[in-house]
Amino acid sequence: MAEDYKQKTVTFTPKEIDNLKPSPAIRESAATLSTTGRLLAYNQELKDSLNNGLYFTHLLDQLVQTGEPQTLFAAAQKLINYQLDNSYLVFPQQYSRADFYLIFLNRLLELHNSEQVILQSSDRNHELYHEFPGINTHGYFVFQLEKGSPDGAYYTEKNSGEILFYLNFRKNIVRFNSRSVVKLLLVDYLKELEPEAIKGFEVYLLNLGRYLKEDYGFDVDFNLLDPSNSAVYELANPQLPHSTIDQLFVMAANGGRMLKVGEDNEAILNLDKQTIVTLVDKSRSDHTAISEWIIRVNDGESRVAWFDILLQYQFIREWYLDNLADLEVRSDLLYFN
Amino acid sequence: MANIQDGVVQREHILATTELKKAVANKARYLQTLAAAIQEQDDRLVYQLIDGERYSKEIMQAKHGTSDERNEQLVADISDKLSQYLSGNLIAYLRETYPFFYFEQIGLGQFQFYFGNWWDRRLFGTLDILKVQFDFNQTEYKKLELAFQLEEQKKRLNSDKIAAISQQTDQLQALIDAQNSRDKEKEQVRLQLKKLAQDKVLPWEASKAKEAKQKLVERLSLLTDQDEKAQQAYKIIRESEEKVLALSKEDTLIGYEKQSIVAKFGSFANFTACNESLYRNYIADLIATKGRVKIDG
Repeated sequence: MAEDYKQKTVTFTPKEIDNLKPSPAIRESAATLSTTGRLLAYNQELKDSLNNGLYFTHLLDQLVQTGEPQTLFAAAQKLINYQLDNSYLVFPQQYSRADFYLIFLNRLLELHNSEQVILQSSDRNHELYHEFPGINTHGYFVFQLEKGSPDGAYYTEKNSGEILFYLNFRKNIVRFNSRSVVKLLLVDYLKELEPEAIKGFEVYLLNLGRYLKEDYGFDVDFNLLDPSNSAVYELANPQLPHSTIDQLFVMAANGGRMLKVGEDNEAILNLDKQTIVTLVDKSRSDHTAISEWIIRVNDGESRVAWFDILLQYQFIREWYLDNLADLEVRSDLLYFN
Repeated sequence: MANIQDGVVQREHILATTELKKAVANKARYLQTLAAAIQEQDDRLVYQLIDGERYSKEIMQAKHGTSDERNEQLVADISDKLSQYLSGNLIAYLRETYPFFYFEQIGLGQFQFYFGNWWDRRLFGTLDILKVQFDFNQTEYKKLELAFQLEEQKKRLNSDKIAAISQQTDQLQALIDAQNSRDKEKEQVRLQLKKLAQDKVLPWEASKAKEAKQKLVERLSLLTDQDEKAQQAYKIIRESEEKVLALSKEDTLIGYEKQSIVAKFGSFANFTACNESLYRNYIADLIATKGRVKIDG
């Protein structure tokens, strides 16, 4: 789906003159033009190319320096599609499109005074990447471009290949990917890192989505990171086997917590005074025949997401990972499978 | 003759009229008393009226009641309405005395109850409102009873079953884990067999060689048997896991039930005693509160 993320910052070497192919317009008219005419046409092409380059620098200035969110967005949108080189003028030193995505995110965070992630430059790979304090060398984050569309890219941890979210500048959407978020943060990182560091990274991801939503009206699917009380976490298998909930019941009891039953046969787990996890079969209230289990998390302040529960409570995490085939929170199938 | 006869008939008719009037008046009085008791929300009196015999025996400690059982038959066909009426106060009382029972109406004057408010709580029985007694689901009740008895041995209801399954699982797992060493041994046995077949055997050693061969063949077939068992082991282990889950779940449910009973009654014996004297206790409570309406709201 995505282009090889190994794509380097494109560095062009000046081409030989005889490699330069005259544009069709010139070729066609070449025979009929006088020498002066041809020189003038050639000169015009150079001017256009220089102006094109100049406009690029103008956009890059905006990307790097503007304090206006809208200007920043417009510059990024144009830069990821920019055709800088042409047959008359080639710039040997360039940043890749994937790099512009990263730069944009850093600038966006900076405008919100929450630039938690560090934009690093890899000399070895000739590319930019994100490093997150606390995750440090365990995370090397880059964008992988979507195949066939310059406007979409996947935010990827390069070593593990885990794709955390998809971002598209034309459709104005962000889609988080529950499988990779869980695999990377709750399985891999939890073995090596403190929960606080993982929590910090989660907040960073959440902020990215929030700023894109607030500043540019993006449609953001936060998936299991959504802390809203109204968030509905849809399961990979909505016809959850009864025994899966039985398992949570037994595991909770072993941990000194009681899984209660509600009036609509929902399973209710009170985790502390304010935080309640509920498994609900929506078909009961919808009066449909086929069961459709979902998970909700309620905490009064809409600050706790399903992810936080999985991070904080080991027995729930074990239960979730043991039954991942049934319990995995569904991600947008258009972008993840 | 006719006159005398007429006179007898007349007298008898008068007598019959008086008797019937008395009998009807008696029934009317019974019904009026009941109507008044209901009007005044005097549940205690209602209970006395619908089962005088029991009331006398249990509450007044009298050997015989003064009531007429036949009057009580008058309301037999409206027992569902009576139950529905009496359920209000009774269930309010039971909610306090048995806070772990959760009642659910299933028809007019008909209630069933669950034990607890936890996941997959057990349906524990039905409530006989007119008799003021629990009709426990015997299967579930006996499990609970047994679980209390097993407490002395520091066991849960399914401890032994779970232990047995776990042991089987461990053996199967060992069988699976030993696949490598089995494969190696089979290889060796086959080599030995091959060697035996090739070696020249001296006549006086023939029986010994035959015996050795027989042993090797037996060993090989034992090993392949184990291979086959190991093949099926995964499936059995998976099924065992499901069984253990169901058993652990039942233990957890009963554990909560036991905790609830101990928290409220101190012991299972106290709980049973309380169930047996439920009628007396409830009527005593009605007397103490003088029929005060206790239904919430």
